Amino acid sequence: MPAPATTVERPRAPTQTLVGAAVAVIAAVLVLYPVVYLFQAAFDVGDPNVRPPEAYGLDNFALLPNYAEIMLNTLGVAFAATVMALVFGFVIAWILTRTNVPMRAALEQLMAVPYYVTPLLGALAWALLASPESGFINQIARALGAKEALFDVTGPLGIAWVMALFEGSVAFVMISAVMKSMDPSLEEASQVIGAGRLRTMLRVTLPLVAPGVLGATIYVFAEMLGSFSAALVLGSPNRFYVITTAIYQLVSQYPPRLPLAAAMGVSLFVVMFAMIFLYRRITRSRSYVTVSGKAFRPRVMDVGRLRWALFAVCVLYLTMSVFLPMATLAFASLQRLATAFPKPGDFTLEHYRTAFSLNAVRSAMGNSLLLGFLTATIGIVLTGLIAWMIQRSRLPGRNMLEYIVMFPQAVPRLVFAFGMMWAWLVFPLPVYGTLWILLIAYLTVFLPLGVRTISGVLVQLDRSLEECGEVCGASWGYRLRTITMPLLRPGLIAAWLLIFVASVRELGASILLMGPNSKVLTPAIVEAFFSSSSELTAAMALIQTVVVGAVMLVFFAITRRAARHGA
Amino acid sequence: MATPQIEVSDLVIRYGTIAAVGPISFVAEAGKQLTLLGPSGCGKTTTLRAVAGLEQPASGRIRIGDKTMFDGAAGINLPAEQRGLSMVFQSYAIWPHMTVFDNVAYGLRVRGRSAAEIRERVGKVLDLVQMSAYGERSAAQLSGGQQQRVALARACAFSPSVLLFDEPLSNLDAKLRGDMRIELRELQHRLGVTSLYVTHDLEEALAMSDSIIVMRAGAIEQAGPPAEIYNFPRTEFVADFVGSANLIRGRVRGELAADSLIAVETAGGEVVHGTAHGRAPGAEACLSVRAVHFSLTAEPRPGGRNAWPVTIHRSVFLGDLTQVHVTWGGRELVVRQSGMQQWTEGQPAHLSVDPRHCVLLEA
Repeated sequence: MPAPATTVERPRAPTQTLVGAAVAVIAAVLVLYPVVYLFQAAFDVGDPNVRPPEAYGLDNFALLPNYAEIMLNTLGVAFAATVMALVFGFVIAWILTRTNVPMRAALEQLMAVPYYVTPLLGALAWALLASPESGFINQIARALGAKEALFDVTGPLGIAWVMALFEGSVAFVMISAVMKSMDPSLEEASQVIGAGRLRTMLRVTLPLVAPGVLGATIYVFAEMLGSFSAALVLGSPNRFYVITTAIYQLVSQYPPRLPLAAAMGVSLFVVMFAMIFLYRRITRSRSYVTVSGKAFRPRVMDVGRLRWALFAVCVLYLTMSVFLPMATLAFASLQRLATAFPKPGDFTLEHYRTAFSLNAVRSAMGNSLLLGFLTATIGIVLTGLIAWMIQRSRLPGRNMLEYIVMFPQAVPRLVFAFGMMWAWLVFPLPVYGTLWILLIAYLTVFLPLGVRTISGVLVQLDRSLEECGEVCGASWGYRLRTITMPLLRPGLIAAWLLIFVASVRELGASILLMGPNSKVLTPAIVEAFFSSSSELTAAMALIQTVVVGAVMLVFFAITRRAARHGA
Repeated sequence: MATPQIEVSDLVIRYGTIAAVGPISFVAEAGKQLTLLGPSGCGKTTTLRAVAGLEQPASGRIRIGDKTMFDGAAGINLPAEQRGLSMVFQSYAIWPHMTVFDNVAYGLRVRGRSAAEIRERVGKVLDLVQMSAYGERSAAQLSGGQQQRVALARACAFSPSVLLFDEPLSNLDAKLRGDMRIELRELQHRLGVTSLYVTHDLEEALAMSDSIIVMRAGAIEQAGPPAEIYNFPRTEFVADFVGSANLIRGRVRGELAADSLIAVETAGGEVVHGTAHGRAPGAEACLSVRAVHFSLTAEPRPGGRNAWPVTIHRSVFLGDLTQVHVTWGGRELVVRQSGMQQWTEGQPAHLSVDPRHCVLLEA
């Protein structure tokens, strides 16, 4: 006879339940509160200055067809950028995982760098390199006798190119992970049976990596739809808009058209959410025969002399995405007026002096670093606890919590910030226009980053390491302190650094939420680009990069030292 | 404090709506070792984890000594850290960021013991597992067998009243496993703690336990002392899982029964005499005969019951034993014997077995 299904509450140590409930409530408020307001604004058809709204309706969405051109621009740029990014990612992933290209390990490390250079720096540098009139490349081409601009980076293809250069490194990481995790014996089995190299490639290798590549395609396309900074820097000056820059324009113009911007934001959000959902479905249902969680040493093909050509391909990509942009920024920032052919007397440190002397820049730098420290430090505590609750606790609702914290991933930060602006305006605490709202915004939009990073390390920890502490009689807090945290250390450090770097360089949310007395650096750089000189902008961008790099080095040094001296 | 017994009654564990275990009831006697034996997925580890407090049962009761650890009806469920027992994990769960000493001292530190006492107790248990030379070694540098010993020392260090073992030897190589089996058994005797042990390894269970519970699909299939389980399996599952047995099915021939034996006639017309072991035979019956209890000879043995001519089908040399497959009444039986006798395929031979070794299974 089946026993009656009595529901028994498991009375855990109350601290765990209390802390669990607290972080769940914090996460839910951070994420859902702004989203509710975003939707409210999108359906608000009354007087936009009256809150709460007087009437709801679909009128704002009915206006969207008037902006069909922007939608087409968005799709076109995203499509072109996705294709290019996937080509970069796939080709280099194949070269670095499957061929005997020289200096494979070093190249693989370098492939992470474009991600850190960010599309904003890339866009600023490529604007200097290839704007139709003053771009260095076009100046050189004209000097060599060309009539027209050789390459115009301010058009849709140029924007897609810059976006693709940086998203290419994301595509690379995703695709090479798939290629690496493929059991080489699957290919060997095909060859042993007598299939040639080509047939093996077509019938075994490609079908096995196809789901992973498809997943990467969807993910990258969703990212491209929501990307902001390259289109802002390169497209807006000549009135070429994609949906994110259009939203920004609608919000920041006078008078702002907030309900229409919200309707655009909601539409973008729905599309991206659907794509991310699709992405997760595809990557989850992927056959676990290919990805067995075991690290294989993939078979490396001897490509003979061709290996130097393949090496050149990798170096070319890194040049386009890292070396050339950084060199360009440095080159431009040291000239009085940037040109491809400076005279010896044209070089100056004036822009650096200006950058450091401007109060706005100094305070923005200070604010950015402060926010970075606070976001990263509070962030690892918050996301660490959330990751633990999701992966380890037996608390009810932990699956729901996972969905909530992953939510911001599907919303462009600009759109999220829009909801936040709307939400925190009416919040009883006076955070609007202060650094606090930026801190809240960063903590919210970087929840997925922190949770994903820490969860990634946590799932690799054998569950019984913690359970053993439990059986030994240690309370939850004591176990966290003596077992979980020391073992999670690498994950916590990585999460701190990632959140810090992401916060200091955040643009989409900051540009909407910063107030006149709470400037932060990245939007200040964009402002400088639009309102002062590109040489000063270049100097500021480089200062930011160097400062971020320096903080990372110091942090590494401290944590390494602590690890050596600590328990 | 007297050594407590573990008493599990009507325990049910569910995963979602699927009943993984139960309802099952058993008692692990004070100071004795009870082993849960079964194939993977039978619910033995889940049951052990429920006793530890790492898994939440749906209903039933778990008592250790006179303390209730879990009572579904009364809403009692003590968290693992308050149950005062100890456990050795399958993966050892040695904390790699601590030294051997710190690993072993953990349970004592949790209990707020003085530094001097911790040093003394840790030293003692490390001696017990012959690891005293490794105290300051980082736990990450230990071999599998050493980790096993440290895990054991850590589990014993704070003198728990109950020890739980979750397949502690399954990650060791065969030779080491044999040695550790004996060491563990001796340690258990010396400490006199009540132990609940989980394994899927028959030999381990037979060698180490005071009593064994064979589990299958979340339910108890048979419980008893090792010899009882081995010699008198209750069901086909136990006969088959606990060592290799030949199952002989047939009609019960009451008129041929004699000398308190029963007689079963197979479809092939062979009559096998066996022992009912107190079980009531129906019209059809199944007898279990261990492969090692057969004797196989070239010449017929004089007289007696249960002797038949057979043909050798195949002979496989296993080292300690030779496994011979013989054709008997139109079917195959597996015989294991020691000795130098060589068999060739198709060779006629004579098979016999003592009726006491032909055990009636429950219908």
